[in-house]
Amino acid sequence: MASLRLEGVTKRFGQVTALNNVSLEIEDGEFFAVLGPPGAGKTTLLRTIVGLEKPDEGDVYADGERITDVYPGDRDIAIVFQNLALYPDKTVFGNLAFPLRQSKVPRKEIRKRVSRTAETLHIEHLLDRKPAKLSGGERQRVALGRALVRDPQAYLFDEPLSALDALLRLEMRAELKHLQRDLGRTLVYVTHDQVEAMSMPDRVAVLREGVVQQVDTPENIYHRPLNQFVATVFGSPPMNFIPCTVAARNGTLSVRHSLFEVELTGEGLSIRESLTEGAPCLLGIRPEDIRVGTGGGEGFPATVYVTEPLGGETVVDLRLGDRVVKALAPPSIDLVQDAPVRVSLDPLRLHVFKEDGDTVLSAAGANLFSVHAASA
Amino acid sequence: MAEIRLEQLTKDFGSLVAVRDLQLTVPDGSFTALLGPSGCGKTTTMNMISGLERPTTGEIYFDDRAMSRVDPGRRNVGFVFQNYAIFTHMRVYDNLAFGLRVRKPRPDKAETDREVQRVAEIVGVAGILERKAGRLSVNDMQKVALGRSMIVSPAIFLLDEPFSNLDAAFRAYMRAELKRIQSEVGQTMVYVTHDQVEAMSMADQIAVMNLGVLQQFGTPQEIYNSPTNRFVAGFVGSTQMNFLPAQEVPIELPAQARNGRSVTVGVRPENLSLVAPDSADATLKAKVNLVEPLGAKDVVHVTIDHQDLRVIATPGLRPRIGDQVGIAFDRQRLLVFDDETGEAVR
Repeated sequence: MASLRLEGVTKRFGQVTALNNVSLEIEDGEFFAVLGPPGAGKTTLLRTIVGLEKPDEGDVYADGERITDVYPGDRDIAIVFQNLALYPDKTVFGNLAFPLRQSKVPRKEIRKRVSRTAETLHIEHLLDRKPAKLSGGERQRVALGRALVRDPQAYLFDEPLSALDALLRLEMRAELKHLQRDLGRTLVYVTHDQVEAMSMPDRVAVLREGVVQQVDTPENIYHRPLNQFVATVFGSPPMNFIPCTVAARNGTLSVRHSLFEVELTGEGLSIRESLTEGAPCLLGIRPEDIRVGTGGGEGFPATVYVTEPLGGETVVDLRLGDRVVKALAPPSIDLVQDAPVRVSLDPLRLHVFKEDGDTVLSAAGANLFSVHAASA
Repeated sequence: MAEIRLEQLTKDFGSLVAVRDLQLTVPDGSFTALLGPSGCGKTTTMNMISGLERPTTGEIYFDDRAMSRVDPGRRNVGFVFQNYAIFTHMRVYDNLAFGLRVRKPRPDKAETDREVQRVAEIVGVAGILERKAGRLSVNDMQKVALGRSMIVSPAIFLLDEPFSNLDAAFRAYMRAELKRIQSEVGQTMVYVTHDQVEAMSMADQIAVMNLGVLQQFGTPQEIYNSPTNRFVAGFVGSTQMNFLPAQEVPIELPAQARNGRSVTVGVRPENLSLVAPDSADATLKAKVNLVEPLGAKDVVHVTIDHQDLRVIATPGLRPRIGDQVGIAFDRQRLLVFDDETGEAVR
């Protein structure tokens, strides 16, 4: 088993900086995900850990030992790629046994380890088949098995589920989570899929254009994003951003929109230094934290742009001034286009971002804000 | 504008029947989705409406006019495809104006300007009219493609998976925009998709197809709440419906369902809830297999005798893997399907 550490790793390909001063600590036995859009540098990160790429600057450590110059074959780290490379002319047994034969493991030991791996992955009954006779999910299991059978210090997975259909992906997500727990080995899992990154790992590193944006639990990435980019990686539909202005009056501080005002209260006031009066800012709120009501009552007025019924819930697109924001409502809500509604924002779930996208404050369940309708 | 009526429409390609006996009326000015997996016949149906394919048997009517012998160019139909058809070497303005300039008589400059401006504002490209179309983002290119088709004011507007190359956030944005555009413009719109979220969220009514055969035609609510068969029930819904053999569900089913036949119970994940295993509401006991947090809600996967069930739960009370839990059913929302025919039993 091994902990992994990257220290100030930079990797350039010509003009492109694929990794820019990346430092990460991955604990022994941790399920660690790396999430980012295509081109963020995720795959380069994995290839650097396993030794297929050499960093231009910085170092890689395993269990505190510098391995930057260690040959990939000597690092004892197994990698599973997105495109399953199985040997088509070998049986499943032959495919699983191959890495062991390469490292001259005795025949009896090979048989033992292959059958144990096959059992873990529920492919014992397929050992005599060739890959062409397997389903997509079975092939994926064999590819995983080829990494498992080596019993390495750490596993690196590069979007291993992206080629599978939705139902199979779901099944494999559950299995991978169990597998990692049972094996207790360090697993670094690269993905661009927000559901995978939310459901499986202990911690997530959000990567954008080669730069680590945030490393945290999925929970904290969701509720306490460090910037506007991180705020959009989880959630469907994603977080709404509403342009507002900072206003100060008689010792109070607020974020003002033509329709409402969000006043900072209690500990929320502690960040007053990072907000300048009159400065533009963004109020962030997720669709499920906006409540839409008909008739009078609390909140501020808005109109319905469109409604999007999804069956189990309905997305209500609201026109707030010149912006459209998305709110989630129960499927029983019955609204026609352009209908007047009352809108309230959950003060416990608000975020304030500076104009440049850095987070100023996330409520994350704390009492930091109070929301009022704008006085007429 | 026009009503579209498909009468006993069949299309075969040799021994393959792509569309079989399709009977469907798309009301004038409505937004109708053709929904189904690949190979269900939705694109062939659309190609017959546009005239790119000729039906083997049956007839297509626009209002009361039979169309199957009318050339595609004379049907007054606008298209948007998955791969945005735009002239990349032209400015956005000229792309939009193209459909007007080929019209006879050719409209004057002032009228062209006015029309281009109007459509550019609707699809959201008014600020980039002078830009070369080839330099635009994929998202903006698709807006231009949409605008190009709209500007000729066709009676019928056909869209074939127009959003499938766009990123998720932009797709969510365009869904609302297109729905709004359609309601403002009022053209009859037929939208082909394999994505049930798109069909549910935008359409006035959905035609669900499978293997060339129409399975159900109804509003999104009808399709979701009262699917006619197991295929429709399983195809629609963000988290798939659970299906359980009736004998494993200790709930009294309606009389028709027990009439000597073998049936399956269908229940949507949001109509199940997690309760304490010893609670009086616990219809079944299960073990938690995986929790998928989706932000606003969790999908909890539980196992009962090797059967997987999905339950929608609120994130506050998150169970742990391996926990024993009770499953409560919303008995008003159970569906029953005949095992032999797959049809819903009511």
